[in-house]
Amino acid sequence: MSNSYTSDILKPFKLKTKQQELLIRVLILCLVYILAFITRLFSVLRYESMIHEFDPYFNYRTTLYVTQHGFYDFWNWFDYESWYPLGRIVGGTLYPGLMVTAALIYRLLHFLRFAVHIREVCVLTAPFFASNTTLVAYFFGKEIWDSGAGLVAAILIAVCPGYISRSVAGSYDNEGVAIFALLFTFYLFVKAVNTGSLAWGLASAFGYFYMVSAWGGYVFIINLIPLYVLVLLITGRYSMRLYVAYNCLYILGMLLAMQIRFVGFQHVQSGEHMAAMGVFFLMQVFYFLDWVKHMLSDTNLFQEFLRITVTCAVAVGGIALGVGMASGYISPWTGRFYSLLDPTYAKDHIPIIASVSEHQPTAWSSFMFDFHILLFLFPAGLYFCFKRLSDATIFIVMYGLTSMYFAGVMVRLILVATPAVCLISAIAVSATVKNLTVLLRSKTKVAQIGSTKGTSSAKASSKASLDQSQPFQKNGAMALLFGAFYLLSRYATHCTWVTSEAYSSPSIVLAARGAHGNRVIFDDYREAYFWLRQNTPLDAKVMSWWDYGYQITAMGNRTVIVDNNTWNNTHIATVGRAMSSYEDEAYEIIRSLDVDYVLVVFGGVTGYSSDDINKFLWMVRIGGGVFPVIKEPDYLVNGEYRIDKGAAPKMLNCLMYKLSYYRFGEMMTEYGKPPGYDRARGVEIGNKDIKLEHLEEAFTTSNWIVRIYKVKPPNNRW
Amino acid sequence: MAISYIHLFILSFVSISRFLEISKAGAESELVADLLTLQSQSESGVIHLDDRTVSKFITSTKTPRPYSLLIFFDAILLHDKSDLRLPVLVHDFALVASSFIANHNGSNTKLFFCDLEFRESQSSFKLFDVNALPNIYLVGPDAESLKDDTEQMEQSGFTRLTESLVEFIESRTQLTVGPIHHPPIISKKQMVLIIGFLLIWSPFAARKIVAGETMFHNPRIWLSGAIFVYFFSVSGAMHIIIRKMPMFLMDREDPNKLIFFYRGTGIQLGLEGFMVGFLYTIVGLLLAVVTHVLVYVKDLKTKRIGMLFSIFVSFWAVKQVIFLDNWKTGYAIHGFWPSRWN
Repeated sequence: MSNSYTSDILKPFKLKTKQQELLIRVLILCLVYILAFITRLFSVLRYESMIHEFDPYFNYRTTLYVTQHGFYDFWNWFDYESWYPLGRIVGGTLYPGLMVTAALIYRLLHFLRFAVHIREVCVLTAPFFASNTTLVAYFFGKEIWDSGAGLVAAILIAVCPGYISRSVAGSYDNEGVAIFALLFTFYLFVKAVNTGSLAWGLASAFGYFYMVSAWGGYVFIINLIPLYVLVLLITGRYSMRLYVAYNCLYILGMLLAMQIRFVGFQHVQSGEHMAAMGVFFLMQVFYFLDWVKHMLSDTNLFQEFLRITVTCAVAVGGIALGVGMASGYISPWTGRFYSLLDPTYAKDHIPIIASVSEHQPTAWSSFMFDFHILLFLFPAGLYFCFKRLSDATIFIVMYGLTSMYFAGVMVRLILVATPAVCLISAIAVSATVKNLTVLLRSKTKVAQIGSTKGTSSAKASSKASLDQSQPFQKNGAMALLFGAFYLLSRYATHCTWVTSEAYSSPSIVLAARGAHGNRVIFDDYREAYFWLRQNTPLDAKVMSWWDYGYQITAMGNRTVIVDNNTWNNTHIATVGRAMSSYEDEAYEIIRSLDVDYVLVVFGGVTGYSSDDINKFLWMVRIGGGVFPVIKEPDYLVNGEYRIDKGAAPKMLNCLMYKLSYYRFGEMMTEYGKPPGYDRARGVEIGNKDIKLEHLEEAFTTSNWIVRIYKVKPPNNRW
Repeated sequence: MAISYIHLFILSFVSISRFLEISKAGAESELVADLLTLQSQSESGVIHLDDRTVSKFITSTKTPRPYSLLIFFDAILLHDKSDLRLPVLVHDFALVASSFIANHNGSNTKLFFCDLEFRESQSSFKLFDVNALPNIYLVGPDAESLKDDTEQMEQSGFTRLTESLVEFIESRTQLTVGPIHHPPIISKKQMVLIIGFLLIWSPFAARKIVAGETMFHNPRIWLSGAIFVYFFSVSGAMHIIIRKMPMFLMDREDPNKLIFFYRGTGIQLGLEGFMVGFLYTIVGLLLAVVTHVLVYVKDLKTKRIGMLFSIFVSFWAVKQVIFLDNWKTGYAIHGFWPSRWN
């Protein structure tokens, strides 16, 4: 009685299969959304809610400026606190997307009466956008394959280490927002190509605009999409849908992108954007030809016509490009772009690009670290895509391959490849699992049908063979399914482990294991920056290697000579020259730059290996690139970089060496080792008796990681 | 009379000394003219010296000479030693020489570029006391002894010879070299031919494309290209190209043993990358084969064997990669089972 009663009540809530499926899907997506967010919170749990690394400090500082002074002031901001004495036009030399996004979120929260600090918003922006990316990945997967593939893609991308590396909480950098924008633009474009709808085309143009405003990597979009269109044209897949989608994206996207001051007219002038323009004109030619073909009934006539038009078009295009290049109206490719196409270029010509560790070429182990099983699934996914070729799968294949190639050139571009790898692998997983489950379910059905009605005649022959192998196939399918789920669960374990171990360190607060296995925290950077803030005059100028420029301005609130925006190579080279000269020569440079304090980072006491002594060769190289008086061999002994007794005399007496090892010769760092034993490099230093003439020690942090020196005024001359 | 004698004497002295001067100047200008003809005979402007000409132009002339000689020491029998890079250096040297001559419009009589070959002119090598190659010496106008007065270019300059050579010349001789004229990759004639060919070929290509009968319409070719790009990327081939990594290393302790795998993150060897790239690729391809090819095989036995084979190979490949990765990086990448079960 009661049973029938409850079922009566529940009747309106009973769902049809379709609705059930929808409910499950939405539930999974919600869980994935939350998962993507919380897996990125390791850094907050381990340390505290703070901004990480180097560049994010600049972004944080500018975001603060936006919220305090408003958008237009930000747009016209001239920052005199960096690149002393040159200063920097901030509004015109950055991609404002990230800052504006964070400021908007901040405003919205305050409008809703959540009184959060802007720092919390900045810290959590990247995880929030990572969650949004999972949604986009779902829709993208649905568009190119089916909703199952979409769901798998969303799950895979939510925890993929390649993406997490740039989007943990606190990593407040352009990439955090940009990967969302990138995938979103691609999704909208594919949607536009599939539907041929102007509305989707318009949406993709706006997606592109957001991407341009957020990250310099938009160049990848504006080259990949034309390449894709070109491939479609070559393979004879030209259609009206493609025409609408591409033209809409290109024209509107171009006009919108030119509104970003940092891009401006580059979008029509620089060589990096020429491919898009060329393909745009090619599309018009194709359309024109189609129209003429439609008008002319005679095929022979059309062939003739085709021959003439194509010859003319190619000739005119070639001449226009040649004239543009020769007259300097079209600028050639920039160094960074060039180094992608010809990877050996940067190494030989641009030390400032080659010196950054994330610009190094990728070794196979990094792929394994960032992709895990996705690497094995990727070729299978490619194969599946080729088996079911459509405009959308061609796109994802091209995206996957080009970004894979670029990931091989530079470690940091693994990030761009991650969404494609996740999507293609998701296709492999989803298609395989689907096949297996269909096999499992159809077996039971066939068995039931076989027992009750006998085999149906329609597919008699195939089913007969299926029936024979039934038990084995069923077991095999079960085993494979189990194996697949097991592997995926290992993937999840791996991702979580990588996130917590490798990618959640803020690198401004260092953690190490103590002698007893306990965690030791080194908070020296902040100690030093707050010391600068409290103890130096407001207009003091601090010289350091460019890595620390953003942090000093953001946390120490003091003017720096160079910072991480490496726009002026000569200025950086001047600092490199000062660091690698003898003290009296360096003093002249320091005086000419009006420097009051010199800051160096030193890891000899703690064993922190990315300090200035290990970066020193790059200072020499970059300095020597502009000032030939600095020669790398002077600092090496038989091509070897040494700091102990056998080191080159110039090395032992240059400013960087002196500032790093001042008073270090008296210090015992490790039991059983002589005083002056450098733990980062594992040697006893070569010059223990360092005397400073023009500088004096002002502050050294508790673990000696940051050392600050005051520049003495010139001696009285009488 | 006496006066006139003295006059005559003075006159004759003056005329003789002047004659001597003229004859010396004549000999010098002759040498320069000889050098210029030798220079014009050579294609790149590098004068080929041997023992005889070394004595003619350097050792048997009086200082100060009106010219400096920049001598490149070459040895043809060492050209196949790749670590010396002699052919490249010869080419760079010739490039600087021809640029220098072109920038001075052939009116240069101060500096000449020469080369010496070891087998032909061993005694000159001894004169300069050259024991190691590559080597470049500048013989200045005042150099008497070839051992002591000549200036040697630093060994570090040979990595980027053209730039450091220009620097060396400009600092030691106070002559300007001017811009280096690198030969274009494609000559003008070739350019015209290529453009012409493209123009003629493009309508045919367009017709074929429109008709849809090129090899680009064959998905198999695209597929194999795609797999290749994947393999190329994940095997770290770019790393090998950019860093110029060797395929394998010799073991220092045991020269017969080869080292294929390098321990440590961030660096890899050539064959190592290709092996792992192959392991990466094989698993995915087997999965594709199982789902798309094996299904159509009629024979049940082959099907089963194929299935078991691919499962086994995939299992082995994944295990191998994880083992190698753990060994290489020290990170315990998660494999099939928790690492503490091993």
